Amino acid sequence: MAGQTGSAALTMNAPAADWVIEAEGLGRRYGEHTAVAGLDLKIRRGEVFGLLGSDGAGKTTTLQMLAAILDPSEGRATVLGYASVREAAQITARIGYMSQIFSLYGRLTVDENLDFFAALHRVPEAARAERKARLLAFAHLERHRDRLARFLSGGMQKKLALCCAMIHAPPLLILDEPTTGVDPVSWREFWNILYQALTEGTTIVVSTPYMDEAERCTRVALLHDGRLIACDVPGRLRAGLPGKMYELVAHPQRRALAALQRALPQAAPYVFGERLHLRLPEGGGDAGEWRAALAREHVQLETVRPIAPSLEDVFVALLPSAAAAPPVAAEVAAGAAGPAIEVQELSMRFGKFTAVDGVSFAVQRGEIFGFLGPNGSGKTTTIKMLCGLLVPSAGRATVAGVELGADPRALRSRIGYMSQRFSLYEDMSVGENLDFFAGVYQVPRAVLSARRAEALALAGLAGQEQRLVRALSGGLKQRLALACAVLHEPQVLFLDEPTAGVDPLSRRRFWELIGTLAERGVSVLVTTHYMDEAEHCHTLGLLYNGRLIALGSPRELRAGMRAGEMLELECDQPIQALALFRNEPGVQASLFGDCLHLLVDDAASARPHLLARLEKAGHRVRRIETVPFGIEDVFITFIQMEQARLDTRAARS
Amino acid sequence: MRSLVGAIVWKELREIRRDPITMAVALVLPLLMLYLFGSALSLDVKDASLAVYDQDRSAASRALIERFPQSGYFKRTHDIRAEGEIAELLDRGRARLVLIIPPGFAHKLARGETAEVQALADGSYSTTAMVILGYAEAIVQSYALERMRERLAAQGMAAPLAPVRVESRVWFNAPLESVNYIVPGLFGVILMAFPPLLTALAVVREKEAGSVQQIFVSPIRPYEFIAGKMIPYAAIAFLEMLMILAAGLWWFHIPFLGSFPLLLAATVIYVFCTVGLGLLVSSVTRSQLVAMLLSLLVTLMPSFLFSGFLFPIYTMPVMLQLYTYLFPARYFIEISRGIVMKDVGLAVLWPQLLALLLYTVLVFVMTTRLFRKKVA
Repeated sequence: MAGQTGSAALTMNAPAADWVIEAEGLGRRYGEHTAVAGLDLKIRRGEVFGLLGSDGAGKTTTLQMLAAILDPSEGRATVLGYASVREAAQITARIGYMSQIFSLYGRLTVDENLDFFAALHRVPEAARAERKARLLAFAHLERHRDRLARFLSGGMQKKLALCCAMIHAPPLLILDEPTTGVDPVSWREFWNILYQALTEGTTIVVSTPYMDEAERCTRVALLHDGRLIACDVPGRLRAGLPGKMYELVAHPQRRALAALQRALPQAAPYVFGERLHLRLPEGGGDAGEWRAALAREHVQLETVRPIAPSLEDVFVALLPSAAAAPPVAAEVAAGAAGPAIEVQELSMRFGKFTAVDGVSFAVQRGEIFGFLGPNGSGKTTTIKMLCGLLVPSAGRATVAGVELGADPRALRSRIGYMSQRFSLYEDMSVGENLDFFAGVYQVPRAVLSARRAEALALAGLAGQEQRLVRALSGGLKQRLALACAVLHEPQVLFLDEPTAGVDPLSRRRFWELIGTLAERGVSVLVTTHYMDEAEHCHTLGLLYNGRLIALGSPRELRAGMRAGEMLELECDQPIQALALFRNEPGVQASLFGDCLHLLVDDAASARPHLLARLEKAGHRVRRIETVPFGIEDVFITFIQMEQARLDTRAARS
Repeated sequence: MRSLVGAIVWKELREIRRDPITMAVALVLPLLMLYLFGSALSLDVKDASLAVYDQDRSAASRALIERFPQSGYFKRTHDIRAEGEIAELLDRGRARLVLIIPPGFAHKLARGETAEVQALADGSYSTTAMVILGYAEAIVQSYALERMRERLAAQGMAAPLAPVRVESRVWFNAPLESVNYIVPGLFGVILMAFPPLLTALAVVREKEAGSVQQIFVSPIRPYEFIAGKMIPYAAIAFLEMLMILAAGLWWFHIPFLGSFPLLLAATVIYVFCTVGLGLLVSSVTRSQLVAMLLSLLVTLMPSFLFSGFLFPIYTMPVMLQLYTYLFPARYFIEISRGIVMKDVGLAVLWPQLLALLLYTVLVFVMTTRLFRKKVA
């Protein structure tokens, strides 16, 4: 049983109610800036509670206040029955906490890190070895016990940090964005450790920018600008969304989107790959109004089907839409076809380390090519080579008709680049930033004012040239950065994690922008570690350890999956049900909000067996059905195949 | 109950051992600083460059001039032929002293009149200029005295005894070599230069990296964390002291007159004090850059200027003299010089030792008070 250390005291202080965390009117100000305000939160024992929000929403501040390492400026919180300010020492002595930043000691080995945290939390010598062995086994880190933490991959570091935070079997785990930038396989293993802790009764509070991660939590709170805008079970949040979500396939898609935006702005239509999603009032799926609008524009409606809303749909609907999206142009002049990027066997070595290993692919004009991969897989290095910022160790590439290394000046005038941190000058106004980048890219004077107006419209900042960039929201900064990167009308656009840390509504609008640019004939190469964004791309390339291990359209990649089927199961007590299947051969179980996802070889043959197991354990199954694989499941399969290939090669040599 | 201090010490030692930069700063830089300062910082005048404008060109003038290089303090580097060269030599710093012997020097001497010579010194380094002029005067005086004796002897008279004579003997640094004085002072300066810097950076680095948040969320109490950080760095500082002490004895051959155990005991207190100052700096700073600047400002700079290391405290204005009591380097340098050069013991040095001890306790208490297990 986890939580021995604190459970005795816990039951004394919080007898009847099982609240592990109770916060009332919690708030924190930094000078003039309010990071969090008026937060009311109650978290029950045994929950996995997700705190969802974009950068700057107040997630970290909230978690630090709950972990009693930051005093609130208003309100109060009780954690494990202790007052967070007066009895902070009682709280910090008991809970497990993982900060967002690298929290290990890089110069200590895996073993030594665990030993240190075990000693720090006074884990008895006798229990230490057993706990360490168990955690290392769960994290698949046994083979790396003697490696220095700084030489572990990002995913391994996160898993180790989690093990360190759990070494004293705390009754409450507070995790601050623990999985940002982690590869999907490590991510799944990370969550497996959490499931184990959950089945042992641990309460988990986890913050995340990822909607799909929040879906796994038993309850979710949505934070925006320091305020709680919703807090409930994912299922109920989804059910509470007014209206119904529909998915349509329409041709031409862009004209359909423009028409829908005009006819039904409150339906928040948006493009999701080949499909359009929109939220219609109850029964509105058949109502003629929007169909008529599409028909007027000569849009062909191929399919219309109701879909379950995602948490992101809920979040977007709840967000105060301050900056209205600039309407999408219905028609854009299509550019010429043909390849814009051709890469052959490109490699980059730094000393003994191979960052990029024999990568080949092509991007057509007007194509959105998505580069996916965990931190450190070689995405940024590849982009830097293609921009002429790094000289490849081997291989060749042509970008916008320029052979790499032949004419760097010509190359630079034909490409645009937007980096993770947006590279805007915060102390300058919107107009000054545009002028600066126009100067850098040598935009001819004759066309400058036209391009400038266009860029302002693109960014949704028309008439706001005088505003300081510092005062803009994250989403607006991101659009402005993109507008700056395309001032010189590049043929190829490189976007390096352009959506990191931005709220979901801004992300959607940003992808619409990218779509507009692509239709004008700009080729876009974009990297992301949001798996769900993969759907927006025409072609995906998955990079792993510097190698391109999968390449194709989302549909092709899904079709290529020959690794079983996914069952979604809804029952009363999903965490207990999860415990049931944890050690079941042939079943990979994971929590998915209030449901379970079970990966099995063959759904038809597995179903009766699974149901029997559940019934015997006294679970009431409300629903069990086969669901399509998420793009993340696809990538996990490819990574596991690659890992198997590497393992056999290592075994042979 | 297992010691949480031990856990921190254990972790810290392992990290330090695997960090080549910390090791270099801890073990190589102190020796380098001792070598550079011990060799370069000399207040002694030796082989000062001397330019001579001998307008008399007589046996008598040559005899006087000869005495300068013979003294060991001067080296004759230039012979001036024309008046105009003098300014040039002094302007360019080629000559520390210009000796001018006017025409008729020998003639005046022979007639028993008072002959004059002129000495021009470069006063830009006032201390050395004073010393040089002092030497020059002494050389001329002794020459004059000898000439007087010769003259009296030629007249058949015995030389009279000087009515008063100074019988001067120098205690504690008989050869008056400044290295004997600089090196024991450097012990105090070096221990104030590197250990606090390393310690401050070690803590602030954890703050920057975020790993300190993990420490916050643990049962550890502030004083346990502070002590755990203090002990390994104090141990390193003590090792540094042993190294520079050995180098001082065998490299610079400074005479060590007093008690080793007493000096080492004082060192133990002092290293906890300097490391504690580093921790104090780290508890009020958030970035490594600020921590570095602040620790240089509160440790290295005052230990150079206000510790009596280079500039004697008794020549400072009274207010500044009071100010020097704020810096522990002052006490330790007094202790170190007292033991190394004067062989004085506890009977004399107890006030300084007590001051150091109180200082150290105060720093520790302040640091634990300022160190809060909070991110903001």
